[in-house]
Amino acid sequence: MRPARMRKLRAVILDEKMDNVVRELHEEGLMELCDLTSKLEDPQWADLLSPSSPAPYLRDVSALLIKTNRFLDLFDSVKPEEKRGLKELLNPTLPPKEKVTFSSADEVIAYGRSLLESIEGEVKELAERLNYLESRINYLQQLKGYMEYLKDFDIDLEYVKSGPYTYVAVGLVPEDRISQLKERISSITDNLSEVIEGRTVITSEREKKVPVIVVTLKEYGDAVSGELRRSGFERIEISNLKGTPRENLEKIEEEIKECKKERETILNKLRELAKKWYRKLLVLHELLEIEKERAESYTKYGRTKRTYMLEGWVPEKYVDKAKSTIERASQGCGVVEVGEPDEPEEKIPVMLDNPKPVKPFEMLTEMFAPPKYNEIDPTLLIVPGFLIFFGIMLTDAVYGLLLTALGLFIWKKLGKISEGARNIGYILTLAGIATVVAGIITGGYLGDFLKQFLGFDIYKTPFALVNPLGESFYINESRPLFKIGNIAVDNGPIAILLFSILIGVLHLFIGLVIGFKENLEKKGFMEAFLNQGIWILLIIGVAVGVITNMPYLIAATVAVVVLLCIIKGYMKGGILDAMLGAMDITGFLGNVLSYARLLALCLATGGLAMAVNIMAKLIGDSIPVIGILLALIVLLIGHTFNFVMNGLGAFIHSLRLHYVEFFGQFYEGGGKKFQPFKAKREYTTVN
Amino acid sequence: MVLDNPLLLGAIGAGLAVGIAGFGSGIGAGIAGASGAGVIAEDPSKFGTAIVFQALPQTQGLYGFLVAILILFVFKNAPEWAMVGAGVATGLAGLSAIGQGIASAAGLGAVAEDEKIFGKAMVFSVLPETQAIYGLLVAILLLVGVFGNSLGATTIAALGAGLAVGFAGLSGIGQGITAAAAIGATARDPDAMGKGLVLAVMPETFAIFGLLIAILIMLGIMF
Repeated sequence: MRPARMRKLRAVILDEKMDNVVRELHEEGLMELCDLTSKLEDPQWADLLSPSSPAPYLRDVSALLIKTNRFLDLFDSVKPEEKRGLKELLNPTLPPKEKVTFSSADEVIAYGRSLLESIEGEVKELAERLNYLESRINYLQQLKGYMEYLKDFDIDLEYVKSGPYTYVAVGLVPEDRISQLKERISSITDNLSEVIEGRTVITSEREKKVPVIVVTLKEYGDAVSGELRRSGFERIEISNLKGTPRENLEKIEEEIKECKKERETILNKLRELAKKWYRKLLVLHELLEIEKERAESYTKYGRTKRTYMLEGWVPEKYVDKAKSTIERASQGCGVVEVGEPDEPEEKIPVMLDNPKPVKPFEMLTEMFAPPKYNEIDPTLLIVPGFLIFFGIMLTDAVYGLLLTALGLFIWKKLGKISEGARNIGYILTLAGIATVVAGIITGGYLGDFLKQFLGFDIYKTPFALVNPLGESFYINESRPLFKIGNIAVDNGPIAILLFSILIGVLHLFIGLVIGFKENLEKKGFMEAFLNQGIWILLIIGVAVGVITNMPYLIAATVAVVVLLCIIKGYMKGGILDAMLGAMDITGFLGNVLSYARLLALCLATGGLAMAVNIMAKLIGDSIPVIGILLALIVLLIGHTFNFVMNGLGAFIHSLRLHYVEFFGQFYEGGGKKFQPFKAKREYTTVN
Repeated sequence: MVLDNPLLLGAIGAGLAVGIAGFGSGIGAGIAGASGAGVIAEDPSKFGTAIVFQALPQTQGLYGFLVAILILFVFKNAPEWAMVGAGVATGLAGLSAIGQGIASAAGLGAVAEDEKIFGKAMVFSVLPETQAIYGLLVAILLLVGVFGNSLGATTIAALGAGLAVGFAGLSGIGQGITAAAAIGATARDPDAMGKGLVLAVMPETFAIFGLLIAILIMLGIMF
């Protein structure tokens, strides 16, 4: 019930064997490396060891990695949207991993170089041509836009150029400024100018503009161009064109078409190449990333003239394996020493170590916070409570079956490619089964579907134990379960409420006992008694009082507990805290009452399912012919909605009861997760 | 009996239940939705996440709707004042959806930055629903007639029980504000989760006071 015990492993290894050791440790992934840099600041250590720099092959690896990424980006940009069919989406398959047998970084680098070279040989020319075509098409498209504006001018553009004596400008002027511009130009140039207007066009920025050709004498050029600038004139560059705009337009369109055609053939060729190389590139990328991580790990070691020293955390059960790995990989040129953790608790990494059937639930613990190294691991404790609460809150056999199917699907199919999906699928499957059981006990089959549509009232038969909305065969007015004072437990809701509170008290009691034990071991009896003992006393006192029917015992226990809380507050911080301490009991009562949500949510599922059924029945009965169809639609949408909403609610409220009420009694968390030095292999394998 | 047909007063209860709770849910879902719109403008693939967070403050409206249906179709023979009390309890407590909307908006913002925080953000965002659940609980207790012929659950006193748990349920707004801040804290430092929960649960104390008084009224031991 505690995280895996850790050992500190130290090794000193001859430098020429070091890389082999690093590689083997990286493949096995049993150890979390400690960074020795901070230790080396201590002068005593600094006398012995100096910091080590990354392995020399890091530079080559990084350079190749950049190149690999460039090719991957290129292929990504040409690859058509991968059409993953519904079948693939619902039942994803992992592509087989490629077996690799590189025994040193240099081999990987050599392989990477030759692979990238052959890819470059096939791709380079195409990529360059593609680049050229893209920019050419862009340029032509822009030019085409200009020609469109000018196409009313039936004139060879070769002549529309400034000559030795004339100044010519071609461009666009905003429509509302054209007349003013014309006046100004003619006054500047003493009427020795011509402004030829075309038909108004609407530009791509949705502005109304008039294409114009302005002709004047050279000596007025500067003045006119200044005036044009002030009027928002947009010049069109046509200096290297011949022929009329219309002719040009045709030519440009022709060329664009050709360019696009060529681009398409190049893209097709690249797509073919992508098919051939993409996977190989991914493999190379992964290999290089792994080498990079190895090279960078050297900065964590310390070194002497001929040796390296490494330090790391190893879970106790892997110690022998890690030790023999180092000894084997260093071929005897290494010394290994294993010792007890020599650092404070918060520095020791935490690895949760639960049996396989419980392991997926570690996810729920980690979502709160992994335990501290010496704290209890609450995963095993979460399992029963979580499933029971979930079952009670969703309580419907049909919804439960649905959830089980959904959970199995996520677990078995989607879980193949994602560990997260595997865990959540497993949890949902179990939660679904719990819901089926709870649904059978409470007689919920799509709410009261059987009664509404088939006239079968399950609560009048012995097939359902309790009715969350009223009386059942077993619990009714003439057959109350039992009586407390003047309240008879004679219907479903009160029975479930009682059950919820009881199970809540039990849940809290378990948490308190664990917390008491923990505190007793670590901080002594006083702490344990003040933090948990008081409440254990309260629960036991009230329970005994209720069972033996002695109200005085209950009152006495409550009084003692309040008094103890006041004393505890006073010890902590004087009068003010003592007054606050008196309120502690309401906090505890709040924890207990919080479990009443089990009843409320249980009833909400059944009640909303019933509301859906009522609506469907009303529609089915009141609208002729298509009524049945509409009713079916209402049933389908309504129950799906109810299932999703209440499923979500049941999940989170179960979690909340654990995180807030249960963990509040004994659990703090906040450990550092064990992060082994391990090669991440998705596309490759070494075995 | 105030009116010849007890369901006439019951109808008022049903109206209050679905009306006030719907008002709360509308505002809450609106706040969460505004945050969702911002998030999907940045990253359209977050649409599903946005929908999930926006769904959280809608449950209060759903509870209101549920209680209205229960009053009108199922517990038609419940005492008339119990029906009104049930409606007031669910309706007012449903205003906690405003707080839940604030928390959900913060949760969604945090998840948009870092998907790993989804579970934690969910837990925080669901805290302010407790108040609505207490409201629903009191409504059920009143309608089912758990307390038999107690004056507190059958006369106009039942309205008092509904008011107690209903207004105390407004503490959900405060809780939502704390939860929203706690989500921010947890996003920055995942270890702040435990302490953040302790702070965020504080405003619930008043909802529990409300629930306690409501139960005492329904028990009717003082009459």
